[in-house]
Amino acid sequence: MNEPRLRVSRGLTAMRLAARGGARYAVNAPRLFAAAGEHRQRLRDDLALRTAQDVADTLGTMKGVLMKIGQLASYVDASLAPPARRVLSALQDSVPPMSPELAAGVIEAELGGAPESVFGEWDPLPIAAASIGQVHRAITRDGQAVAVKVQYPGIAETIAADLGNVALIRSLLKMAVPAQDVEELIEELRERIGEELDYRHEADNQRLFAGYFDGHPTIRVPRIVDELSTGQVITSELAAGARFGEMLSWSQDERDLAAETIYRFTFRSLYELHAFNGDPHPGNYLFEPGGRVTFLDFGLVKHFTDDELGPLIEMIDALCLNEDQEAFRSAMEGAGFLKPDAPIPTAEVVAHMSLFYDSIREPGPRTMTSEYSSAVARRYVDFKSPLAAYAKIPRAYVIVQRINLGLFAILGQMNATADWRSISEEIWPFVLAPPSTPMAEAEAPWLAKARA
Amino acid sequence: MTAGVFPGTGLFQRAAAAFADCVPVDPADDGLFGPGSVTWRLHADLSAPVSGLRSLLLQALHPLAMAGVDQHSHWRDDPAARFASTSAYVLTTTYGDKAAARAAAERVKKIHEHVRGTDPVTGMPYEASDPALLIWVHAALVDSGLAAADRYGIGLSDADKDRYVAEMTAVAEIIGVPAARFADGGAPASVAELDAYFATVRSELATSQSTADTATYLLGMPDVEPELADVWQVLAAAAVTSLPDWARAMYQFGEGGPAPDSVPPGREEVRQVLGILDAVYLGEPGVLEARQRLTLRMRRAERTRAEQTRAEQAQAEQTR
Repeated sequence: MNEPRLRVSRGLTAMRLAARGGARYAVNAPRLFAAAGEHRQRLRDDLALRTAQDVADTLGTMKGVLMKIGQLASYVDASLAPPARRVLSALQDSVPPMSPELAAGVIEAELGGAPESVFGEWDPLPIAAASIGQVHRAITRDGQAVAVKVQYPGIAETIAADLGNVALIRSLLKMAVPAQDVEELIEELRERIGEELDYRHEADNQRLFAGYFDGHPTIRVPRIVDELSTGQVITSELAAGARFGEMLSWSQDERDLAAETIYRFTFRSLYELHAFNGDPHPGNYLFEPGGRVTFLDFGLVKHFTDDELGPLIEMIDALCLNEDQEAFRSAMEGAGFLKPDAPIPTAEVVAHMSLFYDSIREPGPRTMTSEYSSAVARRYVDFKSPLAAYAKIPRAYVIVQRINLGLFAILGQMNATADWRSISEEIWPFVLAPPSTPMAEAEAPWLAKARA
Repeated sequence: MTAGVFPGTGLFQRAAAAFADCVPVDPADDGLFGPGSVTWRLHADLSAPVSGLRSLLLQALHPLAMAGVDQHSHWRDDPAARFASTSAYVLTTTYGDKAAARAAAERVKKIHEHVRGTDPVTGMPYEASDPALLIWVHAALVDSGLAAADRYGIGLSDADKDRYVAEMTAVAEIIGVPAARFADGGAPASVAELDAYFATVRSELATSQSTADTATYLLGMPDVEPELADVWQVLAAAAVTSLPDWARAMYQFGEGGPAPDSVPPGREEVRQVLGILDAVYLGEPGVLEARQRLTLRMRRAERTRAEQTRAEQAQAEQTR
């Protein structure tokens, strides 16, 4: 492996900040080009990526990797410094859509014909930016409305080459997430991004989730159109719904329902499918009234083995059900979160960690707030804590932590109230409590079928 | 140009501010080169920071140029400001309209009027407005643009390299180099002339304590934001690597830097570091917009050119 000799100092602040910028951008920026106004649209067209060289110039030389690191690290810290936000959002803004010709070229190379011949109808203007690609609307030849995600040509090679500069990535990550074991994170990052570059992984994951949640009253996962999907193109059912920002203007009752759906989706996936969708990004949901949520983008999914899932369950079991502090500590040690024999009293370990379990320690309605999600994120990166020297996040859990924080951030923004503990008890495989909400009643037939 | 024109304290921050400021929003004309020029492409290239640093290292090898800077510039008091104004000068003469380019040149000429004296090392008198010195500074800049792009940036065809050197004579002339052929005392106008120039001028070059101090300073960390210090180290190694062998020998550098055994950084490594630097640049106010202004003008020029070619072809068809 290529290990160039970049000397790394401690304070690469700008890059650390840059790496943290993703979340805020994601929340504030409209992902739809079309929503950006006519002038902006024209500007985007004039600046469009016309060749693979344009793609390399825009997303090569670490810029695509930097955006990905930013995306990955963004859930780790909710409070962003303005320069950080600027770097990431300028970086995002610096990526215009592909020209219609360039996108058509990818379709032709991947599906063996011009878009107009492969599809019944093809909209040459993209409806949304996707990471490392863009989304077009089309109608298949048998009349189905679909969303077609088209990858920027050459991007996979470009990012793969940049991921080879481990020394540089290490220095960026050390700044972005100092609490974590950077070597483990690098491996995880390389693996996950590598998977994300091959759309076939994403299609496989989406099939898994779509199959599992098929028939669920509120959870929607668009189906993949197999014959029109390849390593660089994913065709799936076109989903409708309101964007995150719009949903935030709905009544609190509607928001609570949507939050419940997201919560159920996340933890059912984890405990039943042993898979966690690693991208709780506001742009990845579409909302409809009644708590119906369509989940988009399965590019970053982490699959768990029983061995990996076991300790997480033990920790919850020990802290939330049995209130056995020593058992909680030893589960943490067993999973590698805490070094054995750390000279920290168990009560202190529990006090530090319990914030993460705050919403599920007791039954009863609780409101998720942005203050709470920020507090959780701050605790997560609290290096001054006496625990910091003995704590780490083992590789298998890097993504889980990230999704947890991302989930808290999203629910916090929705200001969502629910009895999270009771919902969790329905889902926890070591409890499997009966339905606790109307939504749970409604999903009972689906659940019976899914369990069968 | 005075210190503190551009906001911010660090080198890169000020350079970014200079860039945002010098790319005009509503230019009266296309300036000295125009959006179809090689100069526009090259000066916007990722390799530009390496080119800038290499250029300074090269320029310091002329004792009279060095003496002028040593005795008259306060650059060591506020190097970031000095670098920002130098890059602002290059950017204004490149992308500004003709009036802006001329005004910038006039300001520099005014400063040059007072820059004269005797070089303590060679005992020779010098004047900053001496065309021979102006050509030296100019040639070092042009040569560095080509060398940095060659190693770390866009690959230019031989024809485009010649075009760049020829285009750049315009910027030499507005600062006081005679508008004459190279053989008659003008600036080099082709790669061959540029090479011939360096072959001749080498006998006038020398190192001194000042040169060594300058290099140490430039390769160390001249007022760079601390968080970008590592980036600077790679840039410095890249700049040294891209120097001509004879210049590296004069400085007694090894292949890739001050230490004799240092390994030169590879093209990809340098480009990756330049890319991160570029991302940090993009985060500075106005940089992305300025870059988009340039891209739009360059694309428009490209379209116009393509239409002209088509029209000419159509006409040729007709006459046939």
